[in-house]
Amino acid sequence: MILSPLLLLGPIAAAPAAPVQGDLFVIKAPRVELGDGEVMEHAVILVEDGEIVTMGQDLPIERGIPVIELEEGQVVMPGLVNPYSRVGMTGGGYNDSRPQVMASAELYPSAAYEAFLENGVTTVGQYPAGQGIPGQAVAIRPEGDTAGEMVVEDGVYLKIVMRNNSSAKRNLRDGFKKADDHLKKVEKEREKFDKAQAKAKSDKKSKSKSKATFVPPPADPRVQPFFDLREGKLRALVSIRNAASYEHLVDAIGDEEFDWSLRIPLTRDIDVFHVADKVGERGCFVLMEPLITLVPGTLRQRNLPAEFERAGANLVLLPRTDTKAGFESFLEDVGVMIGAGLDRKAAVRAITHNPATFMGLGDRLGSLSEGKRANLLIFSGDPFQPDTKLDAVMLDGKFVSGDMDQ
Amino acid sequence: MHLRTNQQRRTSRPTWLLMAASLFLAPAVMANVTLDDDPAEEAEVEEDKEEILALVGGEIHTGLGGVLRDATLLVREGKIAAFGYDVDVPEDAEVVDVSGLRIYPGLIAVGSFGLFGSSGNLDDSVDPYNQNMTLALAAGITTAVDGNSVAKLKRGHVDGLVVSSSAFESLSYSNGNPQGQLKVENDLKGAADYIRAYRAWEQEKKSNKEAKEPSKKGVDQKALRILRGEIRPRFNADERTDLLEIAQLAQRFGFRPIINGCREGWTVADELGRAGATAIVTPRTRRPKDESLLREGGSSIENASTLYKHGVNVVVVPASRGISLGGIVGQDLLHLPVEAGFAIRGGLPELAGLRSITIEAARVLGVDYRIGSIELGKDADLIVTDGDLLHYQTFVQWAIVDGEIVYDKQAEMFFAHIRPRPETALAPAERMDSGEEAPADAPEVEPAEDAGEEPVIEEPVIEESGGEEPEANEDPEESEDPEESENTEQTAGSSGA
Amino acid sequence: MVMLHSIAALLAPALAAAGSASAPAPDTVVLHVGKVLTMNAADEIHSPGMVVLEDGKITYAGPVEAREGGPDPVLALDTWAVPGFVDLHTHIHSGGFGDINDMVHAVNPELRAAPAYRPGNGVIEVGRAGGVTTLFGIPGSGTNMGGFGLIYKSRSTGGFQASVVRDPGGLKVAQDSNPQRRNASDVGVTRAGMEWNLRDVADRALGAYRQGRRDPALENLSRVVSGDLPVLIHTAGSEGVVNTARMWKVKYGAVAVISHGSFDGWKVAPALAAIDIPVNHGPRTIDYYSSREGRIVGTASEFVDAGVPLFSLNTDSGVIAEEYFFLQGSMSARYGADAYQMLRAVTIHPALSFNLAHRVGSLEVGKDADVVLWDGDPLDPRSSVRSVFIDGDLEYDRDRDGQLF
Repeated sequence: MILSPLLLLGPIAAAPAAPVQGDLFVIKAPRVELGDGEVMEHAVILVEDGEIVTMGQDLPIERGIPVIELEEGQVVMPGLVNPYSRVGMTGGGYNDSRPQVMASAELYPSAAYEAFLENGVTTVGQYPAGQGIPGQAVAIRPEGDTAGEMVVEDGVYLKIVMRNNSSAKRNLRDGFKKADDHLKKVEKEREKFDKAQAKAKSDKKSKSKSKATFVPPPADPRVQPFFDLREGKLRALVSIRNAASYEHLVDAIGDEEFDWSLRIPLTRDIDVFHVADKVGERGCFVLMEPLITLVPGTLRQRNLPAEFERAGANLVLLPRTDTKAGFESFLEDVGVMIGAGLDRKAAVRAITHNPATFMGLGDRLGSLSEGKRANLLIFSGDPFQPDTKLDAVMLDGKFVSGDMDQ
Repeated sequence: MHLRTNQQRRTSRPTWLLMAASLFLAPAVMANVTLDDDPAEEAEVEEDKEEILALVGGEIHTGLGGVLRDATLLVREGKIAAFGYDVDVPEDAEVVDVSGLRIYPGLIAVGSFGLFGSSGNLDDSVDPYNQNMTLALAAGITTAVDGNSVAKLKRGHVDGLVVSSSAFESLSYSNGNPQGQLKVENDLKGAADYIRAYRAWEQEKKSNKEAKEPSKKGVDQKALRILRGEIRPRFNADERTDLLEIAQLAQRFGFRPIINGCREGWTVADELGRAGATAIVTPRTRRPKDESLLREGGSSIENASTLYKHGVNVVVVPASRGISLGGIVGQDLLHLPVEAGFAIRGGLPELAGLRSITIEAARVLGVDYRIGSIELGKDADLIVTDGDLLHYQTFVQWAIVDGEIVYDKQAEMFFAHIRPRPETALAPAERMDSGEEAPADAPEVEPAEDAGEEPVIEEPVIEESGGEEPEANEDPEESEDPEESENTEQTAGSSGA
Repeated sequence: MVMLHSIAALLAPALAAAGSASAPAPDTVVLHVGKVLTMNAADEIHSPGMVVLEDGKITYAGPVEAREGGPDPVLALDTWAVPGFVDLHTHIHSGGFGDINDMVHAVNPELRAAPAYRPGNGVIEVGRAGGVTTLFGIPGSGTNMGGFGLIYKSRSTGGFQASVVRDPGGLKVAQDSNPQRRNASDVGVTRAGMEWNLRDVADRALGAYRQGRRDPALENLSRVVSGDLPVLIHTAGSEGVVNTARMWKVKYGAVAVISHGSFDGWKVAPALAAIDIPVNHGPRTIDYYSSREGRIVGTASEFVDAGVPLFSLNTDSGVIAEEYFFLQGSMSARYGADAYQMLRAVTIHPALSFNLAHRVGSLEVGKDADVVLWDGDPLDPRSSVRSVFIDGDLEYDRDRDGQLF
């Protein structure tokens, strides 16, 4: 890691020994990207036990609290949230429906996770491998000695792969159909039970005090996730390949109602612009790369992330490749999209607040405000400028990467 | 449903929100409150989400001979609800000004390849955004046979495409396969015997209750369906001898064959006419006569026309059933009307040329009750062109499937630069409901009693007396296209230098 | 409207009057038609109009006028009189697609197509029924210099002598794709090699010409490099087209015509216009794959709009059957070109490009009486040819011969 002059010049160096190690400290920042698109200048952030306790403009600071005073020009931003990665995971997958599979079972701490922190990613969603319905993702912090320490929340979404074919549609339809079958089975069991109860009641001889309650038969673990979807306990992320597979998805879902969002990998020629308005109307999350793509068969370029965002979708941007190289160029790539017409505020949301909210963690992280985790990044300037450096990465109130590491 | 209407009146919330909610509530409410199944209420639910499209000021060519100039066509719920001169356009209709343009029924390709971007089951694998579908729509095709399915080019949709899943019932009856011929004959004979025995039994049953129903055992089901008139078998045949034998077989057993290819049909057109055949032809097909034979043979540009003049219904397909962008132009599905033009070159009347790619194609596929012509109640599968459909410079400006505009020349990259549509035609007429409050207003004033009212049906005015649909066995000379005298006006020379 | 009469029937009295078996056609035919497309420099269209054919030549083409003496006019007011079409890129002189490529050597300036020519063969006959009366029958593009083609009429009567307009009619060169000798250990695997093959032999022919040396093998080629005979060059793609044009038109100053110019060849149309080289386009007339923004480009209109002076079309028959020559015009007009320009592209423009305009390509006094009567716009697939006069002889008549196309 390159040493920055900041280490020598910055107030941290002058501060008492290891202030950051303490439970309570303050960050004074000239400029903070809050994550929801807004910016706070001259911000004072009070952190205690890894959580932001108070935050505001030019707040008075109590004497004795260690202060990390950032330089003019430095910018604070929430830690990046990458909800869709398999870095660090090794398992293979299948082509059928295994919604009960938990990606967390694959989780194992390794050096691979350093690539996240080094590039400012403080929360990661790791999904199970495979086609069809491969299972459920886990939200992690890329730091920890055991898998347990890493897990932020398990089962943050169910991954579903949708294609223009019968088997993909059948996977989804059958899932709900099996749930219905189970309900019918439960209903039958209940009728049976009720009949038995009624019989027992009328049969005075065997009138006993034990008041039996009906215990429904447990659902098959492969069926349970579909109940969870229906009840809003689980959300789905559907990976589609083109505009047609979106239509097939909507067709396969039919009248079912559940929370679903879209993963749309942007290949060079992709025709999903056809459904941008429809997706936007739904207002779901859309996970895509910061890439300029071509209209199929032509040289006409499109900024699909911007189009989907303008149409009303909640944009989530992912690195161009799920590799260290992809993470390293990520902010620069996002900067290019801003230059090509993506709203800057939307871009900030798309890498912090939106992915966190997508995984159901928006109340805990992904933005900077009272009550949120102190996951934040300190940049030497505008995060989207190519010459800007990521000076430090703080995870749960601790510097975990960068030059401010104690 | 009155309950819901009252709710609507009480609230000031936007009605469209309520409408959406009521769609879900409706079944429950109906089940609990109104026990009788009132169809009018069903209709009201439908009407709530009704979309109305009005094509105003165009020249409507019904495809059956009728031509209505400066007329209006109204589409409700994807069906042709009215067309004529005094059609009231509802305020909430989407109005498209098509003045100066023509409206035709969407074209039907009785064979196609690669328009649906699918493999296998069309419902589950269609790519309704694939380029070939767009290009076929640009060529005016709104329905095509894919595999053995008849499906609509319903761009952007994956359901509701398939109109029929059995386009054709094939039967092989070729001179080159005497064994196969024998089997077909025996099957038909067996089926005919069965039908005769069954009828006799039906008669006998009246006086003799002991009469025994004839056994179906060993009777070929396909042959039975053919002889009962439930299906029309399709033969692939080009050679004169095969054609003659098919015609004779058909007359012997009393069914109407569909003949695909029919290259030497012109040499035996009278026989085919007597058999009530329909021919699917490619007018430009070329095959020299076998010089070792004394008889007539080979291909003829007059094939379609000769067949037609002998009462054979003619359907036209191009030589290539796909879309070709390789550079050599005019032989593929992109140029279906050009292919019909070649039939006309050989003497087919203009109207029969138009019919050969619309209603006759629909009839041969058994879907003419829904598509193939502009008639009240039929599916609103329409094309709007900038001129005579069969003229080589004419382009489709809009293609409409089930009442939805699925192709707009100016909005697609392919042909927008070629003779761009004038701005006046581009801009749809001012819409009445563009104001903020309009959507909330519309249903509020609608009393529940009126909701189920029938849409206004406008009787089409047939301008040209000579344009009536000819019967298959009528003298086709009588049914010249009313437009024919105009054709020479569209001269190449008139464009000057 | 005039009743449809067979032109042959109308001519019957005249035929009888002519009486002689050796002179199948009457000396004079007066055609009184609905429209005369002269295709002359003034773009005159006479509607109705009159064309007079005398002794195989046109002696009048203009408005209807009363004529003293002579035969009665043939009244065919429901037809258009149009010059017979001129197709500069055809391979049907042998009656099929064979016998046209001698594939041993890459460069064959000594070869001629004429020995394979079968006058009025079946394929030519159908083409005639599609209005084509003059063809440049050429070797294929299997070798760099296929040899010399012949200019002939699509007539069936009179044999070789009566039908051939010019032999050798011009040189055929192939400079892109097809002639590349991919499997040979020979010069000409690449464009560079092909260029050397051509330049080497052309320079030798030029040398012979300048020194007045008679070399039987180079005799005809000498006439090309000296500008006496035209050369038609099969070439395609933007870079190929430019290279071809530079070599033949600029370096040798030959009467050179670019043929094909397919794929993205249209992109260099302005460069071709700048050096005034004619383009004989086809059989491909649209370009999608190298177009910008997914446009389907009508390439004919690109050449015409760029100002290429003499733009003409071809069929490359039998790649496209000869009788579909008109459709090359229709489809080019469909995809953006002006319909009248496309009529020029199948009549006067190819004639002018190939030093044939003194005889064919328009209905003008003194030219060959190659007149086609159409029952409507010749570019409309619905129109068909009623009659074809070649050198004043009625070579095809729909009612007499049956509708061949």
